[in-house]
Amino acid sequence: MKTWLNVRIGLDDFIQTKIIDYRIPKNINIFYTLGFLAVIAYAVQAVTGIILLIYYIPHPDHAFRSVQDIMTKVPYGWLFRQMHVVGSNLMITVAILHMITVFLMGNYKRPRELTWLGGGLSLLLTIIFGFSGYLLPWTQLSYWATTVVTSMPTAFPLIGNPIAQVLRGGDHITEITLSRFFALHVAVLPPIFLTLTGIHLFLINRIGISATPFGMADEEKRPLTEYKRKTHADGYPYYPVFFQKQMYMMMAYLAVMFFIITFLPNLFFPEEAHIPADPFKTPAEIRPAWYLLAPYQLLKLIPNKFFGITIQAILVALFLVWPFVDTYQEKNVLKRPILRGVFIFLLVMWVILLFWGRTS
Amino acid sequence: MRYLLLSLTMLFTLPSMSTAGYREDFEREFMTKTWAGAQVEENSCISCHASDKMKPEFKEIVDAWQASWHAQNKISCENCHGGDPKDADLAMSRERGFLGSPHYKDVPEFCGKCHVGILANFLESGHGKALKAGKKAPNCVTCHGSHNIQKANIDIISEQLCTKCHSYERAKIMKVTLFLIEKKAAQLEQSLQELRQEGLYPEDDQKSLFSTQATFRTLFHTVDVNLVRSRTDEFTSKLDLIDKNVQTMFRDLRSRKNFSAFLMLVFSGMGIIIFLLSTTKKD
Repeated sequence: MKTWLNVRIGLDDFIQTKIIDYRIPKNINIFYTLGFLAVIAYAVQAVTGIILLIYYIPHPDHAFRSVQDIMTKVPYGWLFRQMHVVGSNLMITVAILHMITVFLMGNYKRPRELTWLGGGLSLLLTIIFGFSGYLLPWTQLSYWATTVVTSMPTAFPLIGNPIAQVLRGGDHITEITLSRFFALHVAVLPPIFLTLTGIHLFLINRIGISATPFGMADEEKRPLTEYKRKTHADGYPYYPVFFQKQMYMMMAYLAVMFFIITFLPNLFFPEEAHIPADPFKTPAEIRPAWYLLAPYQLLKLIPNKFFGITIQAILVALFLVWPFVDTYQEKNVLKRPILRGVFIFLLVMWVILLFWGRTS
Repeated sequence: MRYLLLSLTMLFTLPSMSTAGYREDFEREFMTKTWAGAQVEENSCISCHASDKMKPEFKEIVDAWQASWHAQNKISCENCHGGDPKDADLAMSRERGFLGSPHYKDVPEFCGKCHVGILANFLESGHGKALKAGKKAPNCVTCHGSHNIQKANIDIISEQLCTKCHSYERAKIMKVTLFLIEKKAAQLEQSLQELRQEGLYPEDDQKSLFSTQATFRTLFHTVDVNLVRSRTDEFTSKLDLIDKNVQTMFRDLRSRKNFSAFLMLVFSGMGIIIFLLSTTKKD
């Protein structure tokens, strides 16, 4: 079999050049595995999602019932659903951590602007994934959280209401909204996400892994006049050193996932998540998912809604194009007090808004 | 790129500044809007009764109803009093079926439109017969209240309430007879709530419990202790059956937790082994 593959695709050569000869910088740290972890998290979501897809019925009359059946009648259905729900939240967490660590290590800087942009768009898509999946169980939580979030675009004059109408397929959350969100979640987003991730991985491979700014002299300070793949001839081989790091981080990820499923099964399931959606009964507390709580709270705090959503749109745009704006050569954020201060301020604000949104 | 970003910022910010409104407007229009919009129907009974033009005793009705078990179960004004809450002008029109408030002795039939079984048993009871004979007797409101009706429970039978008309002895015997079944039903309700919280949806058992409890309480309205006693075994066996299902579900829940804990340990163990191996390789 091995010879058969060798003759046809050069398996040994592939393993030698792409895995054993592939060198990674010596000062590489554990945070470099977060990107890989995000891919693993997506794979878990894809596999569990496909299993749920077999039993889920995307219609308001059947959605809640079908989720009940998954939880009670389908063999191990509860496990796959819990893995999917907990995994979605962990995936967003991992993607956010990945972006934060890349930012702190200055690895978004040239020539990796496009890699950052691809990663940033993937993070936004991950959040849209989470948001679109939120409605599918058709519970009070999903119904009302979606109602609130789909109302956010109405803050924009002229185009706001049409956007909300397109999202909902009308004025309210109905079976049309459910169909749209279902299609978005299972058919539209996955190919876009895979394409973006593919481009992201291609760019990482093509440009080469960036060395961390802590310790080593960084050749990337050279004038960028021609393409040059970053290599680390004196670095460690990818296999087994970095591969093992990736593997134990993957195990840690799965262990955390099953820890939550075992000991905190209701972490992402408040009481409203077990009650079927009722358009006539508004729950006392309507809150979107945790990753949308900060923007939601900010929107509540800023008096003018258009201004509020504009600020957020600008922040998102700034986040995506940041490598094009920050052309300063120093990669080490510790040597950049203003940037460090702004970053800490934004991070603290985000955390405060998140908890404020959760408790208010 | 910087200039482009600056231009975009200006483009977004300037119009937003020019349209800057007030916090009150924002909250009214956006955050406190009834999200269900037209799906939540206007109820002219509530809007009128809650307004300042209403006498205080009529105004209190809205608050009382909103805190009631009826409100929680979407039983609104027109379900009892008739009329048309969608049309403010004709809301209290007899042509639209408005009934108004019933006379004291007609209250059982008023409530019995929905609580059919209880009405039948109540009319057969000493309470019901006395009421119909025009004697001093309780009606539904005497024990359950009118607008702030709460979920029925055994504590309604109290010395304070019963001794308004007669001695407590007979009522006490009834309460003791009811106690075990009611206690068991309350425990099962709590267990079913816990199971629902864990993502197990015991819908059939919930319906069965509701039905058993409702039938049992219907029977109580005959105020016939012997009748209630004679059928206690029947209700106990029904509750035992639900309890058996509940225990099975709790066992299932425990095995689920054990299984996911096992997976957690497997992955933790594998992670630790790989970590230890990777250190060795690096050395």
